[in-house]
Amino acid sequence: MTEHIRNFCIIAHIDHGKSTLADRLLEYTGTVQKRQMKEQLLDDLDLERQRGITIKARAVSMRLQLDGQAYELNLIDTPGHVDFHYEVSRSLACCEGALLLVDAFQGVEAQTVANAYAAMEHDLKIIPVINKIDLAYARPEEVAEEMHQTLGIDPDDCVKVSAKTGVGVDELVRSIVRLVPAPGGDAKGPLQAMVFDSSYDDYRGAITYIRMMNGTVRKGQKIRFLRAGSQHEIIELGQFVPGRKPCDELKVGQVGYLICNIKSLGDVHIGDTISTTGNDAAEPLPGYDRPKRMVYCGLFPSDGQDFSELREALERLAINDPSFEFEPETSDALGFGFRCGFLGLLHMEIVQQRLEQESDVDLVQTAPNVTYEIITKRGDTLTIHKPQDVPDSGDIEEFRQPIVRCNIVVPIEYIGAIMKLAQERRGIQRSQEYIGTQRAMLTYDIPLAEVIYDLHDKIKSATRGYGTLDYEMVGYEAADLCRLDILVNGNRVDALSVVCNKADADRRGRAVAKKLKAEIERHMFEVAVQAAIGSRVIARETVPAMRKNVTAKCYGGDITRKRKLLQKQKEGKKRMKAVGNVEISQKAFMAVLSGGEPEQ
Amino acid sequence: MGRETDPRCFGRAIETVALNSAEPPTEHVAEAVPGQPDFVWPTPRNAYVHVPFCRHRCGYCHFSVLPGRLDLAEPYLDALEAELRVLGSPRPVETLFIGGGTPTRLPPQQLGRLFDLLETALPLATGGELSVEANPEDITPDLVRLLADRGVNRISLGVQSFSAPKLRLLQRSHDRRSACDAVAMAAAKIGNVSIDLIFAVPGETPEAWRSDLATALELPITHLSTYSLTYEKGTEFWSRRSRGEWVTIAEEDDVSMYRDARQLCERAGLRQYEISNFACPGFRCRHNLAYWQGRGWYALGPGAAKFVNGYREVNHRSPTTYLRRLQEGRSPVAESERITPTQWACERAAFGVRMLDGIDLEEIRRDTGICVATLRGRAIRECVERGWLSVAGSHYRLTDAGLLMADGVATAFL
Repeated sequence: MTEHIRNFCIIAHIDHGKSTLADRLLEYTGTVQKRQMKEQLLDDLDLERQRGITIKARAVSMRLQLDGQAYELNLIDTPGHVDFHYEVSRSLACCEGALLLVDAFQGVEAQTVANAYAAMEHDLKIIPVINKIDLAYARPEEVAEEMHQTLGIDPDDCVKVSAKTGVGVDELVRSIVRLVPAPGGDAKGPLQAMVFDSSYDDYRGAITYIRMMNGTVRKGQKIRFLRAGSQHEIIELGQFVPGRKPCDELKVGQVGYLICNIKSLGDVHIGDTISTTGNDAAEPLPGYDRPKRMVYCGLFPSDGQDFSELREALERLAINDPSFEFEPETSDALGFGFRCGFLGLLHMEIVQQRLEQESDVDLVQTAPNVTYEIITKRGDTLTIHKPQDVPDSGDIEEFRQPIVRCNIVVPIEYIGAIMKLAQERRGIQRSQEYIGTQRAMLTYDIPLAEVIYDLHDKIKSATRGYGTLDYEMVGYEAADLCRLDILVNGNRVDALSVVCNKADADRRGRAVAKKLKAEIERHMFEVAVQAAIGSRVIARETVPAMRKNVTAKCYGGDITRKRKLLQKQKEGKKRMKAVGNVEISQKAFMAVLSGGEPEQ
Repeated sequence: MGRETDPRCFGRAIETVALNSAEPPTEHVAEAVPGQPDFVWPTPRNAYVHVPFCRHRCGYCHFSVLPGRLDLAEPYLDALEAELRVLGSPRPVETLFIGGGTPTRLPPQQLGRLFDLLETALPLATGGELSVEANPEDITPDLVRLLADRGVNRISLGVQSFSAPKLRLLQRSHDRRSACDAVAMAAAKIGNVSIDLIFAVPGETPEAWRSDLATALELPITHLSTYSLTYEKGTEFWSRRSRGEWVTIAEEDDVSMYRDARQLCERAGLRQYEISNFACPGFRCRHNLAYWQGRGWYALGPGAAKFVNGYREVNHRSPTTYLRRLQEGRSPVAESERITPTQWACERAAFGVRMLDGIDLEEIRRDTGICVATLRGRAIRECVERGWLSVAGSHYRLTDAGLLMADGVATAFL
């Protein structure tokens, strides 16, 4: 029954050519005609195309005739960026095989290792694939050797392809058919299907992505979400080819979608199990861990009147992105807004960009921070999502911060630079392994707060772009932390507070005050910027009053130019927030992140 | 629903179109304004002609100029003729301003042809103002005679300073002597002489500036325009400043130099009538007033900006592109923007307030049907509260403090 079905995903480090390989497979199997082909076909969010990255997982079903036998290949595409790691693990649970894709020039990278281990944990059959062999600098033999050393993969098993030119795709498809096990499960057993993702269609409501584990599901059938307990009638079901193609039934082993008149994605729980409504329902599947929010920031409308509009925009976005969460927040300085939790910094950037593209609200975003834990003198444990909630130091028994384990893969000549960087970020080295003769993987435990903002960029610039980073949460550890406050004209601006290491506080305080001085526009009066810990002021800068704001020459030719300039400045003011009578720009709110570097 | 079908898009106020097509040169005809069937844009009664020739480009200049390319004088005049032809019938004007560049760089014969062209296409009304810009070193008895003969009744000299080191820094090729002689010669023949002075150049002291002013005010001039040195993007001065080679002077010195200019001019009988302009009674520049009052005007030549029938259009800034386009029978316009009566009303307030006489929002409402006082009420009140604007009924004027904050006030009206 299922012997001619192959379910697999492609896992890879970002930019190793995952989406391009998916394109080639679609083309090879005739799922998409060459003339309809566009690059990165499965990345249908505008943002994904703009940035050349995959954000959401996707499923596509391909039909193939091989040596006189028809096969159904189901590919589940996954995001490559570390922020979206949890999407990868979801896809893995729906597959029997994984193509581990490695760039023939770049070789094994941090996420290659992380994703490969994740696939092994799920007992997937791994097909190692070396991509981009058409590149002039390709070094497939060395890369195969790297895979052998780091992951124990037999170099002879590696399939060498060029997803760009199509070389080797035939052999790859044959390997998939030959090596990936057919799905198990019982065709006659009670219906059991795993919900691995969902999306929203304005006309049809929630689209539920499922992988059939046992039994059969039919159009018109009544089904039940076992965890949620809700019942629905199936209006349409089918497979992605890659657009939705309805059919009458989905059988064990297949991957497809259901449409059941569900109005909100909130009613579809990823990781839930679908079964029948009667007493003969199947057992629920283990499901998934909920995605962990690693980074929080405040989002405030520049104009307080846009608060409910912002709420609606956030709700709309959350419908399509269950990994993002938000709750109302009040700031003395910024008024009403939302504290939002994200999977990582890229995720945060994407959400903010989508909010701006999809709604008209001008946003002020506060600097991102991680979640802290505080044990108070009274023995209570507080979970802190925003620095302004940190109690006075006298009430704190223990201040704890999240630590992540970072795997950093670099060419060996940069080991020194990375060690220095990791030490500056308070990293503790755990191990150092060589990958081939030219590269090494360094493992450090580093406070997440030191990682999220710019560690990745810093690694890239310290290694001429060759270093890569992957990290996973280890746990919370006590540290010598404090809250650094910023005062503008004597008033504490809660949204500018940050948590930092006590030993760094003076240096950071000075750097932040200096940066704010540069970012706060001149006003009609002098503006004093101070950094303070508790009542102790550690730095002060002054923004002098503006004396003059006038265009000297303004004649016929200047009118359009000048008007546009003034209007642009006016627009810029919209993204400002008045704190007392001082206008603070969006950029200034991010300025508190500066000062992580040691002074020269 | 696609964006094209979004009905909101039709009401969009600003539509700037970059024109790069093969369209022949045309003039926008008066179009009906939606919702205001009786609305009529004013007929332009003023014209500006840009002459791009110059001896060399000064380090602060961002205008469309062609240093040392007098070989293009005839092609330029041909192009101008083609551009004037689009006007069709002669358009009588009350003011005509020939600026640049340095119009007087044109050899006498070409200068003559320029006047011939303009007299036919843009005849000056009786009592009209005909201004020409010139550099002091170009002024000769022959030239002033030629200008006077062709009806020029106002001359604007790019003196900028009388001090040798400052002139060197500004890359000007005249000296104190020739500047004073030029003023005297022009005054004798044309009578109505304006000069430009620049202040707040790097290293300049308030004392040095006062001496420049004193020299200027002893000359037989009727008008003075004076500007704090502006660093325009793309100029040599801009890059020098961004590279840190130049230290700009302290803002308080800049402010005090401006105050000196206002005070000394007032004492010499040159009344300030705009942020940077001072004139003896009866000698305000009528052409420039038309800009600030938001009237329509024609403009010709590379980089010239016109305002005709609700369209603000700018010709291509590159003189060679301008020439090529007209040679090929294409429109020289590089940017075209249709503005709404609301925008017009706001612009009139924003730019009109630069005049010391101020603006009357009731008058603007009568002309445009738009009540700026209501539309921008909150921002206007803020300016009044800050002491930048004084109000008398519907009349608004910059205060002394407001003169230094005029861009903030303009923004409030926009």
